[in-house]
Amino acid sequence: MSVELADVVVAQPATIEEAVALAADAGARYVAGGTDLIVNMRRGVTTAARLVDISGIAALKTIVVEANGAVIGGGVEIARLVGHDGIARLFPVIAQAAVTIAAPAHRNVATVGGNLCLDTRCIYYNQSEWWRRSNGWCLKNRGDTCHVAPRGERCHAAFSGDLAPALLALDAEVEIAGSAGRRRMPLRDLYVEDGKAHLTLAPGELLVCVRVTRKMDAFAYEKIRQRGAIDYPLAGVAVGLTMRERRIADLRIGLTGLASYPFLAAGLENLVGREVDDDLLKEIDRAVQRQAQPMRTTLAAAHYRRLAAAAVARRLVARLAA
Amino acid sequence: MHGSARPRKRLLRVEINGRWREDAVLDGALLVDYLRETVRLTSVKTGCDGGECGACTVLLDGVAVSACLTLAVRCEGRSVETVEGLLKQGRPSRLQQAFHERLGAQCGFCTPGMIMASEALLRRNPHPSDDEIRAALAGNLCRCTGYVKIIESVKAASEASS
Amino acid sequence: MTIVYEARTGRHGVPLIDGVDKVTGRALYTADLDRAGALVGVILRSPVAHAEIIRVDTSKARALDGVAAVLTGADCRVAYGVLPIAMNEYPLARDRVRYRGEPVAAVAAIDETTAQRALELIEIEYRELPAYFESTDARAPDAVLLHDNKPGNVEREVHHDFGDLDAGFAAADLVREHRVCCAEINHAQIEPHACLAEFDPSSGRLTVQDVSQVVYYLHLMLARCLEMDEAQIRVIKPFVGGGFGARVEVLNFEIVTAMLARAAGGKVFMQLTREETFLTHRSRPQTDVVLKLGMRKDGRFTACACEVTQRGGAYAGYGVVTILYAGALLQGIYDIPAIKYDGYRVYANLPPCGAMRGHGGVNTRFAFETLVDKMARELGLDPFAVRRANLLRAPTQTMNGLMVQSYGLAECLDAVERASGWKERFGRMPAGKALGMACSHYVSGSAKPIHFTGEPHAVIHLKLDHDGGVTALTGAADIGQGSSTMVAIAVAETLGVGLDRIRVVSSDTAITPKDNGAYSSRITFMVGNAAIAAAQNLKMLLVEAAAKKLESAPEEIVCDGGVFRVGQGGQAALSFKEVVSAALIDEGAISVKGSFTCPVEFQGGKHRGGAVGSTMGFSYAAQVVETSVDDATGQVSVDKVWVALDCGRAINPLAVAGQIEGSVWMGMGQALCEETRYLDGLAAHASFLDYRMPTIVESPAIEAFIVESKDPNGPFGAKEASEGALAGFPPALVSAIGHAIGVDLLELPATPDRLLEAIGKRRQKAAAAARKQRAAS
Repeated sequence: MSVELADVVVAQPATIEEAVALAADAGARYVAGGTDLIVNMRRGVTTAARLVDISGIAALKTIVVEANGAVIGGGVEIARLVGHDGIARLFPVIAQAAVTIAAPAHRNVATVGGNLCLDTRCIYYNQSEWWRRSNGWCLKNRGDTCHVAPRGERCHAAFSGDLAPALLALDAEVEIAGSAGRRRMPLRDLYVEDGKAHLTLAPGELLVCVRVTRKMDAFAYEKIRQRGAIDYPLAGVAVGLTMRERRIADLRIGLTGLASYPFLAAGLENLVGREVDDDLLKEIDRAVQRQAQPMRTTLAAAHYRRLAAAAVARRLVARLAA
Repeated sequence: MHGSARPRKRLLRVEINGRWREDAVLDGALLVDYLRETVRLTSVKTGCDGGECGACTVLLDGVAVSACLTLAVRCEGRSVETVEGLLKQGRPSRLQQAFHERLGAQCGFCTPGMIMASEALLRRNPHPSDDEIRAALAGNLCRCTGYVKIIESVKAASEASS
Repeated sequence: MTIVYEARTGRHGVPLIDGVDKVTGRALYTADLDRAGALVGVILRSPVAHAEIIRVDTSKARALDGVAAVLTGADCRVAYGVLPIAMNEYPLARDRVRYRGEPVAAVAAIDETTAQRALELIEIEYRELPAYFESTDARAPDAVLLHDNKPGNVEREVHHDFGDLDAGFAAADLVREHRVCCAEINHAQIEPHACLAEFDPSSGRLTVQDVSQVVYYLHLMLARCLEMDEAQIRVIKPFVGGGFGARVEVLNFEIVTAMLARAAGGKVFMQLTREETFLTHRSRPQTDVVLKLGMRKDGRFTACACEVTQRGGAYAGYGVVTILYAGALLQGIYDIPAIKYDGYRVYANLPPCGAMRGHGGVNTRFAFETLVDKMARELGLDPFAVRRANLLRAPTQTMNGLMVQSYGLAECLDAVERASGWKERFGRMPAGKALGMACSHYVSGSAKPIHFTGEPHAVIHLKLDHDGGVTALTGAADIGQGSSTMVAIAVAETLGVGLDRIRVVSSDTAITPKDNGAYSSRITFMVGNAAIAAAQNLKMLLVEAAAKKLESAPEEIVCDGGVFRVGQGGQAALSFKEVVSAALIDEGAISVKGSFTCPVEFQGGKHRGGAVGSTMGFSYAAQVVETSVDDATGQVSVDKVWVALDCGRAINPLAVAGQIEGSVWMGMGQALCEETRYLDGLAAHASFLDYRMPTIVESPAIEAFIVESKDPNGPFGAKEASEGALAGFPPALVSAIGHAIGVDLLELPATPDRLLEAIGKRRQKAAAAARKQRAAS
């Protein structure tokens, strides 16, 4: 018996509306696959008096594929994304990113919403209660110092979801349900760069679905990690590229694992009209290195994550342009 | 809520290895603890502090999941299979036999989880390639075999089924 | 000598005799045992790395409802340790803590929740001392001593000098030196530590079931630390989920659980978390090696000087043996005319290290083999040719007194050179891809036991009764390596009966004869020989009974396939059962034993520490690793491994192949991705997410060849098979990386960040050289 879970109450709503109502109380948390939340609860970094189990809500589990787009429910399991024909046809980059997540048993239950709302991670945070206490806690949990940047003001825990960079590159939109009703926003507005509070969701809000439309020609995702499975990304890079007459018409680079939020590399519109040659690739390398400023949140060197992200961005652009 | 407040329990109805049963479980009980402590299916192993080793892999409605990350109450009305359930009249299944004969198990601690992950694979893909086996067992750590004989075992079981 | 590829032997071998239990879930490991009525035991751990314990107050914890026992260092009067000369650890720290995570108190309570709450109520006040997390800091002149009797925080210094070193280096055409650093790694066996202890207050007896690899040592240390008569203690090993050295020493939690059981007057179960299991580790220490080698143009070694510094952690553990092994195992594989070795085992404020698969030899082998590869490159020699130029000729004795009676390294080299297509492919691979190779060896059990008692190294009992079944009783701990299966085969083959007639009962100190346990690859050689001796003794009794019944002389009886006849093909024949019935007449149930002792001439050199490294037979291995390196991201993939191991004779080829694959793969983990990391002494790697053992995805195909050199003293000619191949992998991989991208990595593991940094440095160096050249021209 996990001591940390002994007193929790589990509610199992059948509809989004019921779920939102149940999650309105302080101390309530949504749980879907539990692959992030249950681990964090067992370690004592997340607490909840009530778990609102949304895995039984059919309305969250649909994938609707349209002529040039798709609506993916927040409760869709990652494994379904990997094997979905329509997604594979229209948005193979989503499946490419999905298959890199954790391992099969996790992907069977972990969801799109869960991966987009993944808690941020840090070597000083994802540790046992004894460990964190021995280390004087940290800014993200009970403490007042970020051990990664002790003189800084904020928590630097890194966002490590794999779907977000791909969906950012696809210019995805998310739909949110809360006690005040539904709202839509660009995925990028879901995030702010603060490791302690990286989501803009209000308490009790639920990610209902993600909408994607195919606006660019070619996409790719590559994840840097030490092992071929299980690991979170040290860096993850998604590239979307449209070429017109051998010149860049549109280019987006989504990045994860490098900051407290997933983000699109800025300033790439300046590259529109350019050929993809060595000079351009060097510029991309520099741009990613400049914008990706990972902190010491992993055991692997932060500097490495930055260099590797740049190398991968460069390689993916070259590959997609070829 | 420590102390006098009695934790909330509910009646869980679940089919385990083909037999329905009902047990009172805590809301927050994990499937791994329910299977090990209540049902006494000790093949479901705990090797890590949550979701990292695959030793507790069981099938939930035929799908491989980590029992250490699954709330027991989520299994209401569903089917759970463990390695004990693969036996046919007390004899090892083809897959179990292959793990035995090909030395897919050395210390045996990761073996039940490894076999259940393999079982899930073979049910949807009876003749997997080496890389498909690798992909399906990616979350099941083994410290003894170097995985060589695990791949051989799964292949042997798949070949025996043709 | 024969080279045997498993699939071609015709002797495939047999599955493990307990294999069906493992694949069906019937196998019960410590945590699976019936714990009805057991209290839950938990440990309070030090939050600080180095401190004096000023005040301990357990009164609130004791007052909590449901708490049955609370223990602290004050309850631990006797120190323990694996080496009689270095017992400096208490089950719960007394007066002083020396690493973050060291046990300071323990509780037994009715359930986990109560036990954890009780821990919260224990008050301990520390006065912190300076803490040292690196060998150099711990050895600084002004460093506070971790142990007052060890100046300079050095547990043991070793200085060995064999042959004429100066003459050796003078005779060399090329002398090179490099410094390598190997990270601390961990056994990371999948089963977390667990112990179930029951104390019966009325009889005063203690029964402990536990994950140990060394049941007898545990028995011994329980008696010592609990100050009990050994006769009142029983230790039983259920199924064990891997060891690799993790459980080769008695560990604090085992003693603490037993003490809690006695204090509570009942049954206590303790299971450590994965994090705690990592803290309770005894693994391969972080090691710095400075190695200097002299080589002639023809590849002959002329001299070797080696300095090793091991960061051993806070307590002695096996440390003295590890630092001795690191030097001793420079010998026994190649012919090197002069060897100087300086070793330093250093204390630091980290969880204590100990023995891990390949104990002591792995990191020096890495330093040696990678330097050989670089020097071969410089001299334009083939790496295989260099090894062949330096082979030993068995039988021989090394300069440090190690006996080499069988030596199949040449055949190992041939096998992997051919299988890997080395001659055709080496140096001709596409960019970023390459082959690398290395050799390694290991002992088949230490010829001199740690606890010298004058008893044999191994004893086996055989019991034969009315049912005609033979029960082999052995203390040898089967921890998944298949030692019980080996015992069954040795007995069955000797008796000439089927395996189905043999049962093996292992590792229960009330039933099985004492055995030193599963370490240093001793079981096959020593216990195997004892099993054969026991079976021969039993066979003699059966032959005598058959002779009597057939009215013939014992020397005329031929036993084949369990049938006893007079003469080959004789008409009169008795089945095994009939002979058993005959043998039981007047005697009743038969018990025989067999034992094995390593003769004194095998027990090592006369110099101080000369016993370490001594063995009756070395295994030998050669391997080729094929790798691909992505020089943009520093990611390394291992594409294929060919490995050949001389294990004397494969008693069970299937199990031998499994051991070779597993050991090579474990070497791959150390080479590629495994390392422990401490942040101010806090273990930041203590999960399977941050301690990255390879998954199946990046684990390559491993083609294993078995070379049978038929050791004159081994059981059926066998030697060890589970450790020898490990140490070759890291140097083979790092050499392959060198050949692939021209970067010679001096650190383990070869993680992408280390590799990218090395690549960056090389680029800077190349750019600087180019600038210099431009400026000059």
